[in-house]
Amino acid sequence: MNRIYLDNNATTPVLPEVLEGWLPYYQGKIGNPSSVHWAGREVANAVEEARDKVAKLINCSPAEVVFISCGSEGDNMAIKGTADALKEKGNHIITTAVEHPAVLEVCQYLQKNGYDVTYLPVDKDGQLDLADLEKAITPQTILISVMWANNETGNIFPIAEIGKIAKKNKIRFHSDAVQSVGKIPVDVQEANVDLLVISGHKIGAPKGVGAIYIRRGTRMTPLLQGGHQERNRRAGTHNVAGIVGLGKACEIAAAEQKEYYRRVRSLRDKLEDGIISQVPEIKLNGTPDRDQRLPNSLNLSFAYIEGESLLLNLDMFGIAASSGSACTSGSLEPSHVMGAMCVEVTLAHSSTRFSLGRETTEEDIDKVLEVLPATVQRLREMSPLYNCGRTAEGCQTCETIRRI
Amino acid sequence: MPWEYSDKVVQLFMDAVKGAAGTHMGEIEDPDGYGEHGSMVCGDTLRFTFRVEKHPTDPTRDIITQARYLTFGCTSAIASSEALCTLLEQERKTPIEALQVSNEDLVDFLGGLPEQKIHCSVMGAEALQSAVADWASKRGVDLAAIVPDKVHADEDEGRVVCKCYSVTEPYLRRKIRELGLRSIAEITHALKAGGGCTACHHEPGGLQDLLDEIWATSHETDDAGQATAAETHDTAGELSPFQLGRRIETVIDDSIRPMLREDNGDIELIDIKDNIVYCRLLEPPGGCPGGADRTRLIVERQLGEEVDDRIRVIAI
Repeated sequence: MNRIYLDNNATTPVLPEVLEGWLPYYQGKIGNPSSVHWAGREVANAVEEARDKVAKLINCSPAEVVFISCGSEGDNMAIKGTADALKEKGNHIITTAVEHPAVLEVCQYLQKNGYDVTYLPVDKDGQLDLADLEKAITPQTILISVMWANNETGNIFPIAEIGKIAKKNKIRFHSDAVQSVGKIPVDVQEANVDLLVISGHKIGAPKGVGAIYIRRGTRMTPLLQGGHQERNRRAGTHNVAGIVGLGKACEIAAAEQKEYYRRVRSLRDKLEDGIISQVPEIKLNGTPDRDQRLPNSLNLSFAYIEGESLLLNLDMFGIAASSGSACTSGSLEPSHVMGAMCVEVTLAHSSTRFSLGRETTEEDIDKVLEVLPATVQRLREMSPLYNCGRTAEGCQTCETIRRI
Repeated sequence: MPWEYSDKVVQLFMDAVKGAAGTHMGEIEDPDGYGEHGSMVCGDTLRFTFRVEKHPTDPTRDIITQARYLTFGCTSAIASSEALCTLLEQERKTPIEALQVSNEDLVDFLGGLPEQKIHCSVMGAEALQSAVADWASKRGVDLAAIVPDKVHADEDEGRVVCKCYSVTEPYLRRKIRELGLRSIAEITHALKAGGGCTACHHEPGGLQDLLDEIWATSHETDDAGQATAAETHDTAGELSPFQLGRRIETVIDDSIRPMLREDNGDIELIDIKDNIVYCRLLEPPGGCPGGADRTRLIVERQLGEEVDDRIRVIAI
C-alpha cells in the first residue's frame, strides 16, 4: 500500500542530503569539538559551519545561535532562564492560551513559584487581538512569549507587530518558531525577537537537535550547567552529527524557501478546496485567510464524527494525519487549542489536522480526496448525532454546527 | 500515543465501517427495546435498539433476535458497540439474561482494551440496561421484582459529583461497587468522572470521600487500594490531629494571612480532616482567571513547607 504522510507538523522525514552529510560524523570524524587535538579541530569547524547556516536562515549573527537538543528545551530555557535572570525586575509573563505545552506548562510551573502569568485569549478563528496584549502589560512584565505559528491550526501570529510592542515597552520577547522556520520567512531582526526556538526534526534534520537564537546582550540563566560549551550558555557535549544535520537542513530551507511555499501551498489549497466542495457540514479550524496560515496546514472538523475513528480509518488506507480528539491523547479533554477557540466540544473531538511536507505529491492529495469523503459519510451514518436530525426530534447539538 | 488496540478491536471496527455482512450498525424502527448512554459533553454517545421474538404467554421468555447501534465515539467505542450486539444475537439471550452481560464480557470479547478506554465498554453495558428497562415497561414486566440490583431509576436525579462529565453520586456509588473501582484513576478510566478539572477528586463528598466511604478502609491496610494510597496520603507525620490542627492554625495566622493581606486577600480556616485543610479564600481584587487556584497553591505550598508537605488545601 502506498503510504501517505500528512503529519509533517508532528515530525518530518530526514532529508537525504542531511543524512549524507551527517554519516561521516558517526564513521571517523569522532572528535569532541571542545578538544584541542586534530580530532576535535576537525569537528569544531563543522559545528561552526552549521552555526553559520542556521544564522543565515533567520538573519542573525552566528554568535547568537546556541545549539540545544529540542524545541521543548529551547522553550524551557528561554522562559525559565529569563524568569530567573530578571526576577529583580519583575514577575509577570504574558503568553497565549494556545502555546505548545513546553511553554504553557513552564508558565504554570512558574505560577506555582510566585510569578504571574497572563494567557492571552484567541478568537473563534484562533487569532490574537493585540489590544489584549497592550492591556496586559504592567511595569512588572519581564517577558512576552508568543509562538510564531500555531501547530494545530497553522495560524501565523503577527510577530512583527508584537515585536514592536515589546520593544516599545522594553520587554523581552520570546517566540517558539518551531512550526514556522523553513515554512515561511523568519527574520529575527525584522520581527524584533530576542529569543527564538528552532527544532531540527520539523525541517528535515534528525530528532534530538535544535537551536535557540539569543539576541546579543540578553541575560539568561542557563538551564543546563556544568560546562563551558556554547559560551557557557548551554552545557553538554555537542551533538555533532545532529548539529551538522540541522545546519544542512537550514541551508536547504533557505535555498528552497520560495519553491517550498509555492508547491506545498498549492497542494494544501487543492486539498482544502477538494474537501470543502465534496464534504458538507465541516468547520475550518483556523483563520479562513489562507495567507495568514502556514502553507502546509489544514485543520478541519467533520461534524457528527469522532476524530480518532476517522484517523484509524485513514490509517487503514495508509494515510497518516492527526487529531485534536481526546481519544488520541489518552486524556479525556480535547485539545486546549480547540478549547481556547471555543470550538464546540463535539467538533473539537472531530478536529483533524493534515500537515503536508516536501515529499507530499499531487497523487497523495488525489488519494485523500478519493478516500476521505466516503469514509466521513460512512462514519456519519454510524453516528447517532447525524441520524438525530432525520428523526424530526430537535437536536441542540446539530444546531451549533455550521457550514463554512 | 500510538494505538494499542487488539486485532479484534481493529477488525470489528473496520468491518463495521465497511458495513460488512454480520455487522450491526443501524437503528431498528419501532424497536422492542431502546436505550441511550453517554452525552455529547463526554465526547461519546451510544444509541442501542433491539428486537425480540415475543413469547406468546410469558414476556420474560422473549428472546433478543436483532440488536443495532449508532455510536459517536472512537474506535474502541464503535468496536464495543459491535461486540455487544454480536454477543446478544449469537447467544439468543432473553433481555433479562442480557442484563448479565457486563463490560468485562465486552472487554474479553474484544481481546482487551487499553486501560484508559475501559469507559467505552461501560457505555455499551449501560445502554443495554436502559434498553432492557424500556423493553420491560413496554411488555409489562416488573424488572424491579425480578432483578432488583439492575434497576436504577432516578440515578440521574442525584447530586452531581463530577460536573465536567455530569456524573451523579448514585451512579458513582453503584459503579464503584459493581466494577470494584479502588482509586480515582480507576474511576476516571471506567466512568470518565474526575477526568476534567479534577476539582471533585478531593473536595468534601468528592471521589476520594466516596471511595473511602464505600470501601470503608484505611489506605494503609488495603492491598487492592495501593493506587488510592498514592492519591491521598495518610494523616500527616506523627502529629496528633489536635497538634496538627494547632500547627496549621499557627502557620496560617503567622505567615499565610499576613502574606495574603498584603494583596488585600484573606483566608478563613474552616476544617481540617486528616491532612486536608478546608478553607475559605478571599481573592485579591483584580486577579486573573486561574487566580483562585494560585492563592490556594500559595497556601498549600506554605503549609507544605512549614508543617507537612502532604497537606492538601481545598478552597470552599
